[in-house]
Amino acid sequence: MRAADRLVTRTLRQAGVWTMLLALASVVTSVALLALPHLIGKAVDTPGQSLWPVLAAVTAAALVGCDALAAWASGASGARAAAWVRRRAVRHVLGVGPRLTRRFTEGDLATRIGLNAEETGRAPDSIVSGLSLLIPSAGALVLLIVIDPWLAVALAAGLVVIALILKAFLRTSTDLAAGYQEAQAELAGRFLDAIKGARTIAAAHSEEREAGRILHVLPRLRTHAMGLWRANADAAVRAGLLVPLLEIVVLCMAGFRLAAGELSVGELYAAARYVVLGTALGSAVGQLAGLARARAAAARVTELLDEPATRYGRSELPPGPGTLEIRGTDGLDLAIMGGSCVAIVGRSGSGKSRLAELAGRMADPERGTVRLDGVPLPWLSRAALRGAVGYAWERPAMLGDTVAGTIALNGRKAPVIRSAEHAGADAFVRRLPEGYDTPLARAPMSGGERQRLGLARAFAQGERLLILDDATSSLDTVTEHQVRRALSRDSRTRLIVTHRVATAAAADRVIWLEDGRVRAEGPHERLWQDPRYRAVFA
Amino acid sequence: MRLRARHDGVLLRPLAGRGGAPLRLPAGRGGPRLTLVRQVLGSRPRLLWALAGWSVVEALPMAALGIVLAHAIDDGFAAGEPVTGLLWLGALGAAWVVGAVGARQVVVTIAGLVEPFREALLSRVVAGVLHRADGDTAALARTNLQVELARDALAAVITVLRSFVFSLAGVIIGLAALVPELVVLILPPVVAGLALFAASLPALARRHRAFLLADEATAESVTAMAAGLRDVSAAGAEERIGDQVVARVDAQARAGTRLAGLTGARTLTLAVGGWLPVVIVLASAPSLGAGPGVVLGALTYVTQSLVPALSNLFEGLGANGVRLGVSLGRVLESAPVPPPRSVLEGGRSGGARLRGVRFAYGPHAEPVLDGLDLDLAEGEHLAVVGPSGIGKSTLASLLAGLLSPDAGWVLVGGIRADLIDPVNRVLVPQEAYVFRGTLLENLMYLGCGEIMAAVRAVGAEDLVARLGGLEADVDPALLSPAERQLITLVRAYLSPARLVILDEATCHLDAAAEARAEEAFARRGGTLVVIAHRISSAVRARRVLVMDGTGVMLGTHEDLLDRSPLYADLVGHWRIA
Repeated sequence: MRAADRLVTRTLRQAGVWTMLLALASVVTSVALLALPHLIGKAVDTPGQSLWPVLAAVTAAALVGCDALAAWASGASGARAAAWVRRRAVRHVLGVGPRLTRRFTEGDLATRIGLNAEETGRAPDSIVSGLSLLIPSAGALVLLIVIDPWLAVALAAGLVVIALILKAFLRTSTDLAAGYQEAQAELAGRFLDAIKGARTIAAAHSEEREAGRILHVLPRLRTHAMGLWRANADAAVRAGLLVPLLEIVVLCMAGFRLAAGELSVGELYAAARYVVLGTALGSAVGQLAGLARARAAAARVTELLDEPATRYGRSELPPGPGTLEIRGTDGLDLAIMGGSCVAIVGRSGSGKSRLAELAGRMADPERGTVRLDGVPLPWLSRAALRGAVGYAWERPAMLGDTVAGTIALNGRKAPVIRSAEHAGADAFVRRLPEGYDTPLARAPMSGGERQRLGLARAFAQGERLLILDDATSSLDTVTEHQVRRALSRDSRTRLIVTHRVATAAAADRVIWLEDGRVRAEGPHERLWQDPRYRAVFA
Repeated sequence: MRLRARHDGVLLRPLAGRGGAPLRLPAGRGGPRLTLVRQVLGSRPRLLWALAGWSVVEALPMAALGIVLAHAIDDGFAAGEPVTGLLWLGALGAAWVVGAVGARQVVVTIAGLVEPFREALLSRVVAGVLHRADGDTAALARTNLQVELARDALAAVITVLRSFVFSLAGVIIGLAALVPELVVLILPPVVAGLALFAASLPALARRHRAFLLADEATAESVTAMAAGLRDVSAAGAEERIGDQVVARVDAQARAGTRLAGLTGARTLTLAVGGWLPVVIVLASAPSLGAGPGVVLGALTYVTQSLVPALSNLFEGLGANGVRLGVSLGRVLESAPVPPPRSVLEGGRSGGARLRGVRFAYGPHAEPVLDGLDLDLAEGEHLAVVGPSGIGKSTLASLLAGLLSPDAGWVLVGGIRADLIDPVNRVLVPQEAYVFRGTLLENLMYLGCGEIMAAVRAVGAEDLVARLGGLEADVDPALLSPAERQLITLVRAYLSPARLVILDEATCHLDAAAEARAEEAFARRGGTLVVIAHRISSAVRARRVLVMDGTGVMLGTHEDLLDRSPLYADLVGHWRIA
């Protein structure tokens, strides 16, 4: 937790001037809030004297002015602090790279960078607002005792009795929420089914019938929703009654003290206001709970920041054909000649993807070294490494703004169109509404089309080594054929993880993996003699 | 032939724009969105009256507060009659309890108004989305969430506006009963405060909207980044993608700061509308001859009723109004009102004729088809082959009338394809649509006939047995893709259509099952067009259309083996594999 607290402290410092301004304005607002009932009470008690009304007016002006300032400062400090935490988290996560996804799921990562960073950013506001809410609410209770201790006694007694009475009306509403969510889920499920079948429905002109099938859930949804509304209304009403009833209890007591001449009318007014202010103590504590949330959020962000960033060396690659050597890692000890095409085959779980990761330093081996043209991969600068190796996967992520942007993802000049042609993507890209400049959001793509853009990205980028991990699995036979032909003419070193016999047959050499180790290697025709090798493709 | 106009989406008629024309949404303006809200609320006048009634009950204790305090003090405690004072306060307590009942009913009544609103919106979304056979599935499904957000925002807007109106009325009535002159003195600053707020509202709405959009953009880019870490790292694109995400983060922070500035300024309008009246009461009430209890009552009205009411109005209206506008805009955008559809009678023959057909997905896109001529005689069996993304499905959609050509024409049975009665042709797409219901309902979706004969012909008897007969309930999520495709194939087989278009409709079946299904359709009679997933479909067809991006080539299998290098290549490759 100490690292998380350091993050919260640094966040406070980042918001800088705004935090100071927020603190100052909040304290003045609190004091003014506390002083105002007293001043108004004095003004009521001394009609004709202009001192108290003037003081009250000045205090009200200060209250409003500082409140406005606090609102501004709170928003601005939160925005700045959250942006600072987010920027740090974003850069750091990118610096660590895909290693993080082994510890955190994608959704979890997004929550930590998005929501949790923002909650951490709210720390300055929670601390200052919570503390400054304590001033008027705790102060009001103190002042109530100062005006007349009996009023405080009445308040305490009233609080217990009223809370007990209201609690008796409490009902639970957990079933309601469950039923509501169930109806929601069913509606969403039917809707999603129909969206996926949209072409069938459009062709049959059966939209109306389908709408009826989906909306069939509505009456049930409404029943549950109304139940939830009612439960919420009951809860809100109970909470809303507490303060006015407490105020009346205190007013009754104050009335008797007024009749006894122990209290002035102005003091009675002030007492009533202090009850209202004092009952805000609960929400002041709630504000401080916001700090607990910010600390918890900071702890979750810190877990990301604690992961050490991936380090790159400074070396450049000497001229070379792209020869790859993997030495001394468990079970893997191989050299791949520059410019050759190697297929990697094996049952699922045999370590194919692990080999693909190691070959281009998407992961570092625990032992041993991986060399490209004689240089250990960790010695290479990021630019040298990523410029030399191109990766394509079964499910590439479509990042970047446009189709061209997702092919040339790192923003460097790249042969976009030629790469797309080799990946069999050019024809379909040209048919998109804006061709290569079509924004990705406006280009709904099938799995096969996405794979082709992923291939194009690898072709455009890797100068010496291409690593394809099941990257043609969703292509139709025609396209796969075209891609295979383009690959066979390529002069770069090619490492192709595959399930398909034809791909293995077309490679110069096949590496057959089993349980993370090389079971055998050699030309496909020779391995094909082994029935266990043939079984890999069954 | 007689033109028969048909309007789909009857459910939604009351919500459609006038004359059924598609609603166009000008950015940022309220037009169609306001109309929508007004129509839904206006259709429930009884609830609106009930809402007004319960609001009066809810406002009762606040309206009575000042009067009660004045009497309790001046006639009771200060006059040495504490029992009278107690009675007044007791009455106030009772008023609070009655008011609480009112408050509860107000919430329930508002719920009764916004739930139908949600249903109307949902109906509209469902109909609108189903009428567009394209689009991003996930994004469309998210409109469900937008509908929920719109409902909550509408409830909040109604609550805030209504609460302000009735609180203000309560204050005015109460003050008028205590010191009528004060009403005249207090109203000008209240009106001035409201005017200031109204003046700032457009800017506030703009900044709120900007913030909301920036916030969503940030969340979106962060999510995309988290999902694509591997790709970013492999491409060495850390800096570029980082810059893009950070730019969004910074834009959001700027929008947040700008919004905070306006929020601060808005608080100042509260000074004019709420706190100035306090000073006015303090300064002028004694000179108007009011006793201490009356002054106190008047003050209570202002500090305990007027100030919170204004504060809630200023705080709630901006944020929720914008949320409502944005969510409604999104919903209406994703679900435009479907245009009326016309259907011509006739066209019973399954023959088709295409002349000079040109189609492109956008003005800057290369055309998918350009100058295509094709004749399909009744009873023809055609296979279409070519790499995916080349336009085979587009051709299927044009034949089925789901798309209209940019130039040239497509006739089916002598009628324009987009005007033909849907029973005359059937399109079976790759994504098999099976819905929750019985197997029989699913099979009879397009028409009925000899069901078990069709099941046997297509090769689905094992599936029917496994599911437990025709009356069994099916859950599409529990079926494999192949099983879903078998169901849609039986369904198409049962339809009376004379033109059947299978658009990779057998891609999840194994080769033997695919052959059995295709042969069944070939024997079924009528015209059969198969968009081929495997080259074997082409070998079975009488004629083959090869699409390879630069042009099309039509011929028999043997013919094309000679003439089309691509086709020969494909067939040769298929034989080896």
